[in-house]
Amino acid sequence: MEGRLIEAARAKVVAALAARFRDLDLAEEAFAEAAASAVTAWRRDFPDSPPGWLWRTAYRKALDIRRRAATRTQAVFDEPPPQETPEEAMIAADQPIPDERLRLIFVCCHPALDGASRIALTLKVVLGLATDRLARAFLVTESAMLQRLTRAKKKIAAAGVPFEIPGPAAWPERLDAVLTALEIAYAQAYEDAALANDTAGFAAEVLRLSGLLAELLPEEPEVLALAALVRFAEARRPARLDAAGAMVPISLQEPHLWRGDRIAEGAHLLDRAADLARPGPRQILAAIHGAHLSRQETGVTPWGDIVRLYDALLMVRPGAVTAVNRAVAIAEAYDPEEGLRAFNAITGERLASWLPWQAARAWLLDQTGQRLAAASAYDAALALNPPPAERLYLECQRRRLG
Amino acid sequence: MQYMVLIYEPEEKYAGLNETALTEVVAKHMALSAEMREAGVLLGGDGLEGVATATTIVTGAGGAQTLHDGPFAETHEQLGGYYLLDVADLDAAIAWARRMPVVEGGKVEVRPVMTY
Repeated sequence: MEGRLIEAARAKVVAALAARFRDLDLAEEAFAEAAASAVTAWRRDFPDSPPGWLWRTAYRKALDIRRRAATRTQAVFDEPPPQETPEEAMIAADQPIPDERLRLIFVCCHPALDGASRIALTLKVVLGLATDRLARAFLVTESAMLQRLTRAKKKIAAAGVPFEIPGPAAWPERLDAVLTALEIAYAQAYEDAALANDTAGFAAEVLRLSGLLAELLPEEPEVLALAALVRFAEARRPARLDAAGAMVPISLQEPHLWRGDRIAEGAHLLDRAADLARPGPRQILAAIHGAHLSRQETGVTPWGDIVRLYDALLMVRPGAVTAVNRAVAIAEAYDPEEGLRAFNAITGERLASWLPWQAARAWLLDQTGQRLAAASAYDAALALNPPPAERLYLECQRRRLG
Repeated sequence: MQYMVLIYEPEEKYAGLNETALTEVVAKHMALSAEMREAGVLLGGDGLEGVATATTIVTGAGGAQTLHDGPFAETHEQLGGYYLLDVADLDAAIAWARRMPVVEGGKVEVRPVMTY
């Protein structure tokens, strides 16, 4: 139980420490020390407010660490411990923990940091994910992940990244940096579902982080939409693999396996986003997911609506990803030939070595009855090293064509 | 905090500019400098002569030094000028650096100055 209480308090306490001392390493180290002493201290005397206890203790630990460091560099010996400052005394009293989580997220997702480092750092500092877990989720070695985190923290400290919530002028760019980081994490976690179990928990962290952000920024429709999107995607998790472990495409999933609670949460968030009347790409994307999930209620997928949503998405977020998905939706909504025509109109660099493009091409050729071309497209897709569950699915499709 | 704002631009773009266009770039720098001085953030800054005028001193093994005619590295963009700013944080430095008048392909690097 201690472990759960400690983890629940982590984000708030680390954020408050980081904001106070403007030092991420110090905040993490002090929290870790406080958490370590909590285990024995709480057995003797359980605190009224475990988060408050952690905050006060971690605050004192942070001051101790700072003093030790100062003593080392100044080589002063046997200095008596300094008197508690009025501020420290105030902290020691039962003050509520200041909520600095949003500030911390903005620091960790500063656009001056490399895109891949932002989300890793956020998950590490805000949610306390261990380095080995992050390394597995981002498919890099543990030492490479550690290096990435260290480099990012060093840059924040040395380059003078401010520990402030950005002002209105910088807001759109800064918020976009946060949302992009979360989207990368979401894509990673989504892929994860089909992978081995040891990384599957990562999706839960992204779910938490997106929910936290929606709670902290309730007036930002794209934030709400991203939280909705993650919930919609997670709702389908129990239906995404068949008994053999093969991927099941969304249109063939069993709707009764979809999690109604997640769908309801997502729908509520998306409604709130719509009420704010500021459309954006993530709201459209979430609406597409929501449209698929409406099959649970109605029994049919509203493919016509989905095509129209992809049309809208293509305007605000043009690119091969949107165009490929749109072509598939057109094939479902109207006629496979028309879908294939839309697909063939897509241009881009190195599409043939991009798995979603090959897989969609194979499916469209298959639907239009071009068995031979479809078979070779499935072969091409399989040669692109798909994740295990998708490989099983593609192999099954390929076998069917003989 | 102090930040060095380093301006890198493809020099050949300037070679192609006529007198009027060149004066315009200089005027933009003057205006921005004046604004930065007004805001109390400008510690210094200047434009540099072209890389053709650069001399590089290379220290080899045992401290032996040789001179090279030219910049330290042949790159597409060359260091053409700098500003030294004193601002609150990286965001403030970036906000000024974004406004540097540069030609297409220009790059502006923001580096914190070490404190001792």
